[in-house]
Amino acid sequence: MTKWQIFKNGVFNENPTFRLVLGMCPTLAVTTAVVNGLGMGIATALVLTGSNIIISLLRNLIPKEIRIPAYIVVIASFTTIIDMTMEAVVPDLHGVLGLFIPLIVVNCIVLARAEAFASKHKPSEAMMDGLGIGLGFTLALTILCSIRELLGTGTILKARDFGFAGWHLFAKDLGVKLLILPPGAFITLGLLLAGINWLVAKRGEKKHE
Amino acid sequence: MGKELRLVLVLTIICVVSAAVLGWINFLTEPVIKDQRELAKQKALQEVLPTATEFQAEPALIEDISQSGVTGIMEIYRGFSGEEQEGFVFTVDQQGYASVIRMVVGVTLDGKLAGLSVISQTETPGLGAEVTDEEFLSQPAFRRAKIGDQLGVTKDNGEVEAIASATISSRAVVRGVNAALTAAGLLLAEENGIGGVSGD
Repeated sequence: MTKWQIFKNGVFNENPTFRLVLGMCPTLAVTTAVVNGLGMGIATALVLTGSNIIISLLRNLIPKEIRIPAYIVVIASFTTIIDMTMEAVVPDLHGVLGLFIPLIVVNCIVLARAEAFASKHKPSEAMMDGLGIGLGFTLALTILCSIRELLGTGTILKARDFGFAGWHLFAKDLGVKLLILPPGAFITLGLLLAGINWLVAKRGEKKHE
Repeated sequence: MGKELRLVLVLTIICVVSAAVLGWINFLTEPVIKDQRELAKQKALQEVLPTATEFQAEPALIEDISQSGVTGIMEIYRGFSGEEQEGFVFTVDQQGYASVIRMVVGVTLDGKLAGLSVISQTETPGLGAEVTDEEFLSQPAFRRAKIGDQLGVTKDNGEVEAIASATISSRAVVRGVNAALTAAGLLLAEENGIGGVSGD
């Protein structure tokens, strides 16, 4: 696979949310507003790319018996470094994402990519995989967020921390409150997964004809 | 034996290197983060008591206030403009629906609510989280509030317009404002020599 294929694979064929169905906790919990989804996605992509590179560099040094604790130490350290650096350098952005960064340690996507990809590939390939999977995750969260925020509140892209009131499309009272509550996350994700599986199945049939 | 030793050694090295890197980054970023938090705090205080330019924390007063039955006051600041005291700022915590809502409330020396802002909460987005909205916080019922008032949401026969479907979060903010006003009343009464901190 070329580097571009690795990248595309992470966004589409192995999209962590819609195809691998990994990292469901953050997916369900933070997708109430587009800003939150984007923030979580970008923060995860940063940690994922960084930890993928380091684990790939260390892939020949780490004995397989202790690979899981070694990966976890690397991932947790990386998350903490990003957390501290962002708070010092970009405090405003950290104010918005700060809540989500510690959660990345327990996001199984990061550990899954370390185990399934980074530990078996060169650092440059591991980096492309991290960027691709990270973008795929960000896109998936943003799609979920857009549906829930718009249909739930009648407004989209509300970002109070950046002083942006969002586009108001219809009255808040007409919004489906259920969508911004936890059950709405399950329902929206379920429908999206069904839709995407249907599309994939249809494409598969065409290929066979 | 050699193999096990290697496992222990590799994991130890990884942990030691990680710890060293983390320590180093922490050493670099800690002072910057501390300054930035201080700045952000100054800004928040300034926002709710715009007439003051300097703020002085008064940790000793918190004990008195909580003994007189006012709950949730976490910090008390005096706001000064030059030598002149302009008022008080309180940081108040109140339990909302899904989280603790932390707000800062400014009260002027003549007993009026000078400003109100919610600085942290994790209420339900689209519902309770709307308590941070200007629309809710700058409504007339809050702007008119003064020492001696006991505010309430309209559902409880008060004047504050609660956020639709988020009465519990709205009530928490109202309780926070009431606590700050009561605390300011007690402090002012004590300082003007009308009487000590009393129970009511």
